Amino acid sequence: MGAGYLIRRTFGVMKENGATHVLSIATIAIAFFLFASFLLLPLNFTSFIEAWEKKVQIILYLKDGVGEKKVLQLTQELQREEGIREARYISQQKAMESFQRDLAGYGGLLKGLKQETFPASFEITLQERFRTPHRIRSLAARLDKIQEVEEVQYGGVWLERFSLFLYTLRWGAWILGGILIVIIVSVTANTVRLTLYNKRGEIEILKLVGATDAFVKLPFYLEGGLQGLFGAGGSILLLFILFHFFSLKVSPYVNLYFGQLHLYFLPPNLIAWILGIGVIAGLLGGLLSLRKPARI
Amino acid sequence: MIQFFQIYKTYPGNITALINISFKVEQGEFVFITGPSGAGKTTLLKLIIRAERPDQGEILVNKRNIARLKNSQIPSLRREVGFVFQDFKLLNNKTVYENIALVLRAMGHKKREIPKRVRQVLRVVGLEEWVMKQPPLKLSGGEQQRVAIARALTNTPPIILADEPTGNLDPDLTVDIMDLLEKVNTLGTTVVVATHDTNLVAKYQKRTIPLYKGNVVG
Repeated sequence: MGAGYLIRRTFGVMKENGATHVLSIATIAIAFFLFASFLLLPLNFTSFIEAWEKKVQIILYLKDGVGEKKVLQLTQELQREEGIREARYISQQKAMESFQRDLAGYGGLLKGLKQETFPASFEITLQERFRTPHRIRSLAARLDKIQEVEEVQYGGVWLERFSLFLYTLRWGAWILGGILIVIIVSVTANTVRLTLYNKRGEIEILKLVGATDAFVKLPFYLEGGLQGLFGAGGSILLLFILFHFFSLKVSPYVNLYFGQLHLYFLPPNLIAWILGIGVIAGLLGGLLSLRKPARI
Repeated sequence: MIQFFQIYKTYPGNITALINISFKVEQGEFVFITGPSGAGKTTLLKLIIRAERPDQGEILVNKRNIARLKNSQIPSLRREVGFVFQDFKLLNNKTVYENIALVLRAMGHKKREIPKRVRQVLRVVGLEEWVMKQPPLKLSGGEQQRVAIARALTNTPPIILADEPTGNLDPDLTVDIMDLLEKVNTLGTTVVVATHDTNLVAKYQKRTIPLYKGNVVG
């Protein structure tokens, strides 16, 4: 049996039960749409986190009265610390000047401020591989133990929570994916079973005239695979249309509030994976429905 | 050639279908399997094409011991045995041409050979070319049975089995179909017809294997 004839027969079978197949493909598409969305969200949030990680720094506020000699010693110690690229000392004087520069328009309000109001600090930038929420947190905890340090700030508590949320989302996608595959296999198996039921007359005749098992069964396997492929393909198309709409209409407003946000669609290899999972789940559905071949 | 050696067949629920059946049908012979409903005629035909397996005994069809046939060898057995049913078993959502072409495709015939072969077998059963584009239900019962016989003949099998082939036909059409099967037989094909119609058996004067409650009688 040639490939062309097999495909024509399969499409013929699918056309005969058109409405059932459309419903089945739509169900598979919805299932895959959920799965693909769960993959797309962390992908874009991750790029947001990566942008933040590039800018991250730790600020060590020092206690009052730390002398110049001690500052020098601390600078050297900090620069020896693993993960720190640069430790810049900001004296009380510099802190006040910076504050005044930033709030230059409020001159009247700044009168009478003394430099003692502003604590001296170290602004610490990190080596690239240390710019992860987990490593920043552990470094901050170590630095907090320095006797002269009053407070450590790294502005990333919320980001840690956000990172945890992303982690959960990513795992959620795979767990959801597992559940969805069971749904897809079951939907495909039921549709193929329905086709088998409708075609039982033809199958009986084919078997009685000496058609091989492959000739009888291949169109049904292919039917399952095609349903999975069309369902997965449909879900990617739907997601792409919504993504495009979001990029055009919504993202300018998002950028206004949250700065430049780069949105990414699913990369080609992930799309290929989703389509592949669709085909395999569909084939599995076909396989399950043909597990007990017609006894003729 | 078909040969049964002490065949027993019982269906689930302890329903006995055949008891100790032995007979031989020679190559090119025309044989009636006769008996009332439930005598075991259909079971006997099903055993020949391995649609059923005997509980006991051996069956030789064209020198193959089909009781011991592997599942993968069943298609090649069935390509040597054409089957005609009482209810024709034509696909009513396809045309006559498609009904026969599908079988030819299943048997591995090349696409370009099929139109010629379909015309040939339709000519053999006395149908004109216009029926090719018709769905079976637009044809008379006799014409439908001719299409079914044409389908059984597509692969020029050495054996044709017919299970009550005239059961749904009026007397005139019955004669037409029986004449056609006789014509097929004169071309060298072994024909085995299962029927309960005693008038038919009397009219055609062929060897009969009478069955009653699963036993060969008489």
